[in-house]
Amino acid sequence: MTVRPRAGMSLKSLTKPLSAAPARGALLNVWLLGLSGMLALVVLVGVAWAAQPPVGLGTADSFAVLAGSTVTNTGPSTINGDLGVNPGTAITGFPPGTVNGTIHAADAVSAQAQSDLTIAYDDAAGRTPPVAVSGELGGLTVTPGVYKSSSSVGLTGVLTLDAQGDPNAVFVFQVASTLTTASGSRVKLINGAQPCNVFWQIGSSATLGTSSVFVGNILALTSISVNDAVTVNGRLLARNGAVTLINDTVTAAHCDAGTTPGGGGTTGGDTTSGDTTGTDDSTTGSDTTGTGTTGTPDGGTVAPGDGAALLTTSPRSVAKRIARYGIARTVSGRFKALVSGVLVRRVRFFVDGKAIGRQKRSPFAAFVRSGAGIHVLTARVHFTDNTPSMTLRLRYRVAADTSIALARRPRAPGGFAG
Amino acid sequence: MTRPDEREGGHGPPSPPLPAGWRMTSLPIAVAGLLLLGGPADAAAAGAAIAPRQELVALFADRPARELPASTSRIVTRVSDTRPITGARTTLPVLARTLDAGGRLWLKVRLPGRALARRPPPATGWIRSARTLRETTRWHIVIDTHRRRLAVFRDGIRLAGYRAIVGKPSTPTPPGNYFIEENVHLYSAQAGAPFALATSARSSVLQEFAGGPGQIAIHGRAHLGGTLGTAVSHGCIRLGKAAITRLAARIGPGVPVTIS
Repeated sequence: MTVRPRAGMSLKSLTKPLSAAPARGALLNVWLLGLSGMLALVVLVGVAWAAQPPVGLGTADSFAVLAGSTVTNTGPSTINGDLGVNPGTAITGFPPGTVNGTIHAADAVSAQAQSDLTIAYDDAAGRTPPVAVSGELGGLTVTPGVYKSSSSVGLTGVLTLDAQGDPNAVFVFQVASTLTTASGSRVKLINGAQPCNVFWQIGSSATLGTSSVFVGNILALTSISVNDAVTVNGRLLARNGAVTLINDTVTAAHCDAGTTPGGGGTTGGDTTSGDTTGTDDSTTGSDTTGTGTTGTPDGGTVAPGDGAALLTTSPRSVAKRIARYGIARTVSGRFKALVSGVLVRRVRFFVDGKAIGRQKRSPFAAFVRSGAGIHVLTARVHFTDNTPSMTLRLRYRVAADTSIALARRPRAPGGFAG
Repeated sequence: MTRPDEREGGHGPPSPPLPAGWRMTSLPIAVAGLLLLGGPADAAAAGAAIAPRQELVALFADRPARELPASTSRIVTRVSDTRPITGARTTLPVLARTLDAGGRLWLKVRLPGRALARRPPPATGWIRSARTLRETTRWHIVIDTHRRRLAVFRDGIRLAGYRAIVGKPSTPTPPGNYFIEENVHLYSAQAGAPFALATSARSSVLQEFAGGPGQIAIHGRAHLGGTLGTAVSHGCIRLGKAAITRLAARIGPGVPVTIS
């Protein structure tokens, strides 16, 4: 679900998802679309929202890892970018770790980088207007903006950053205390979001869970601890404390000057971030025709021009049941068809060849109501680039006599004899 | 309104398979003519067959019901096109049809039961076929108050039977031929929840009950209690929750109800 924020709005009160409005500088509608609860809820609120410029990192931009006290590595970690420490001097674990850049231990370069990091930290911390967030970020889809938590923040599952086609979209997360991500958690970028424009200002320390995929530049006041097999597409910048790595990959993300709006990911010689399409397990029941790319797994690269889409449902249980049993088992005749992907321009939905909906903007969804029998749900997806249009299909069966549609709620007391 | 698969018309879908948990017996499909001789109640009581189809008519406008199929005949009651509890469209069983001198089609229908503070209407009346839609149902409910059981028929075949609570001797369940007026999805706090199939039958004793006209309904036991297979109600037929839920998912307005 997605929320476009306004200043002072609390995401806790809105529950999940949230998103900041695109930086157009105009009054925009606010949507709250609940998907994790398998129900859609839409709220419209007018907001004024200004574009956020990126947080300038100065000379810290070249660093993938920068610590204040020590950098400690275990295992064959890979650092794509400079590695530095200042005012501390200790850097251990390289090798076996690999640094595809320059190591700066308590030298003038790292000192200047720390100075610039302080400026960047203060810049990020002072960004306004913030949208209040608290607790858990997993399951949210956010649009560009500033998100502020007065306490600790956790991430379990997927946090989606939706640039809404603006490659310069900036996401700033202000966390007063700690940031902790769970094992296997993921930050996903969609609709042109770039990891170089994602900033995490952490008032204390950050801990990234095992095998998680993290995107953005962490600007931590104290320390950063990265557990085993974590992929970071961004930077680990700790002002005062240590950075600890265990068999991780950290890639300093640089913005791609040539990125066009709607681009699916970043280039510039970096490994791009977790942009994502086609990784949902609920897609296994759909047939795809056409030549469009079906997406890359977590952390994969989506080259410009590669649109991708998947067809699923809300609630997801419908698509999963279809994927698992096909038409051997029945599903409810009422659900919402949902297309997600990258570079999607518009989607037309059909049931048994009859048009049921058409969407030109996200969320690409349509309500499906089917009677008893076997039906084919079709989504015709067109992309913003030259990706050929594709047709996604779900074949499902609806049982007879599964509903209580005959019954109606009373509008007046019955007064039966009893 | 009922769903197409519940009521087959000329253009309806084919018959769905028997629902899970429903049992088919070996009773033969009845000939409608048999019912005309003895009546469904008698037939049911005698263990005879039930008609496989019942023609229905849905009203799309309020209609006057007349004593005879003629515009000059006396109006016995006026039938609203919606039902008072749920607002569902009024659907009536068709018992006969005829053309008047002007070539207009008249339908003899079974009429809804007594309304509160209104004169009781007759059991049947004639209405014009204009602004109506004719349908067909394959369902039929038979209630045996002596055995305290309710049987469900589809296509004239007995599908299931349930133990029921019927009216006690002081407030008996009135025998006769009726139909389902409304399928009510009651709120959980309401007596008889979760569903009530409001029939056209009215209590012969209670002219008013709980703000209603003493309407006889087939409903659950929530907040009422009672032991299935007993005669303790005020006239309504109470079923177990699973049974009434199963019925409510299949039985729509207009379905004939025979109480014997």
